[in-house]
Amino acid sequence: MSKDSQMRAAINQKLIEMGERERLKELLRAKLVECGWKDQLKAHCKDVIREKGLEHVTVEDLVTEVTPKGRALVPDSVKKELLQRIRAFLAQHVTL
Amino acid sequence: MTGPASYYLAIKISNTEFQMKMEDMPLSGPDNTRLEALVHDIYSELVEDACLGLCFEVHRAVKQGYFFLDETDQESMKEFEIVDQPGVDIFGQVYNQWKNKECECPNCKRLIAASRFAPHLEKCLGMGRNSSRIANRRLASNNNMSKSESDQEDNDDLNDNDWSYGAEKKAKKRKSDKNQNSPRRSKSLKHKNGELGSSVSSEPYKFNYNTGISYETLGPDEVRSLLTTQCGVISEHTKKMCTRSQRCPQHTDEQRRAVRVFLLGPSAPALPDADAVVESDSFDIPDGQTLMSRLQWEDSPDISPTDSASSKASTNHSDSRRPKKKKRPSLGLNSGGGGGGGGGSGGLAGGSSSSSSSQSNINLSTKKKRPKLSAPSISSIYDDLN
Repeated sequence: MSKDSQMRAAINQKLIEMGERERLKELLRAKLVECGWKDQLKAHCKDVIREKGLEHVTVEDLVTEVTPKGRALVPDSVKKELLQRIRAFLAQHVTL
Repeated sequence: MTGPASYYLAIKISNTEFQMKMEDMPLSGPDNTRLEALVHDIYSELVEDACLGLCFEVHRAVKQGYFFLDETDQESMKEFEIVDQPGVDIFGQVYNQWKNKECECPNCKRLIAASRFAPHLEKCLGMGRNSSRIANRRLASNNNMSKSESDQEDNDDLNDNDWSYGAEKKAKKRKSDKNQNSPRRSKSLKHKNGELGSSVSSEPYKFNYNTGISYETLGPDEVRSLLTTQCGVISEHTKKMCTRSQRCPQHTDEQRRAVRVFLLGPSAPALPDADAVVESDSFDIPDGQTLMSRLQWEDSPDISPTDSASSKASTNHSDSRRPKKKKRPSLGLNSGGGGGGGGGSGGLAGGSSSSSSSQSNINLSTKKKRPKLSAPSISSIYDDLN
């Protein structure tokens, strides 16, 4: 267990140190905007807000409403590409 | 818990959820699955980050009041909705709508196609860059035409050449090269062979470029006429004859003589430097004095400032006409001056060369007139022959 978590921590650390995590994050954001995911989700947000009332919306509400939908809405191509990049990074920089 | 703490807790919980899942996996599985799972986890984290980012953004927009700013009343929204039909852009406008429309020109009251409207206006109103250029050209050619017509009734051929050649010349811009490739030269050649003129004038847009003529394409008569007016020395690199004047500085007289011998045979007439070969005085050839008078006469039109090469050339054209008439009465003034040219076309070379030799005696200020003069002398010779 701890070995696993240790390994994970190490890998995460490496990701961050090498700047790869930031790069991946930016890449993902750009792709999501490009494919319209952001607009879709925003529209969903609007519905939620209208539902809950403008004054009483909380971050919690938004998170709980939006996140599962967001995860589901990510297009396959984007998902595949990101997975590919992560794998490549791991293969290159992590020895198991 | 309420308030801010609950937010962070919610987020933390979702994160720990993942971690717990991971720890439940069997360690004995192949590395690959673990690796894959790891990859997926990293991916999920990234997606979560993106979602969270969006949530924070929206929440802030809501709380700051600018979230719904891009929405107006339903009517306006309907009006400006994005159109997604074929053949129409997103505003609903047709692409080629104005292509087939016709507009009425306020000047000439004609119906002009929309895409041609602007250029038409430019010409119609006489404004804009091109229209002044075209107008100048037209003026030049009209001057050319009217002058030549008024002068010569008996030279229809030359007039025709003038007209067409002038039209051709208009398309070109000749600056300092005018002396060497003087229009008259090519014109008199064109008289004999239409292609020749076009071959010379086919070097249009090269300023200060000495166009050459390939001697292989010329017949003997053309060669002779060429050699009487131009230097004619054949360049080694291009195998072309030099079209500059008989006194062109690039070639020596020896070269010119050699070329003449080469092209016309050993009996070729002598060059300017040699003693003037007097074959016969039976022809009305301009002599030294006539040349002098012509020189002086031609002085003014040449020097007069003209803004376009074509108009200058056109005055040169007209200049070539007048001397012929003047020449006849003043004949026989000074037969010893340069010697008369010979009879026949063979004598032409001698005639012009002798006349140019007489020109050499004249003061240097008239140097640039010489090439032009030799041309009129030739055309006058032609007249007499005809």
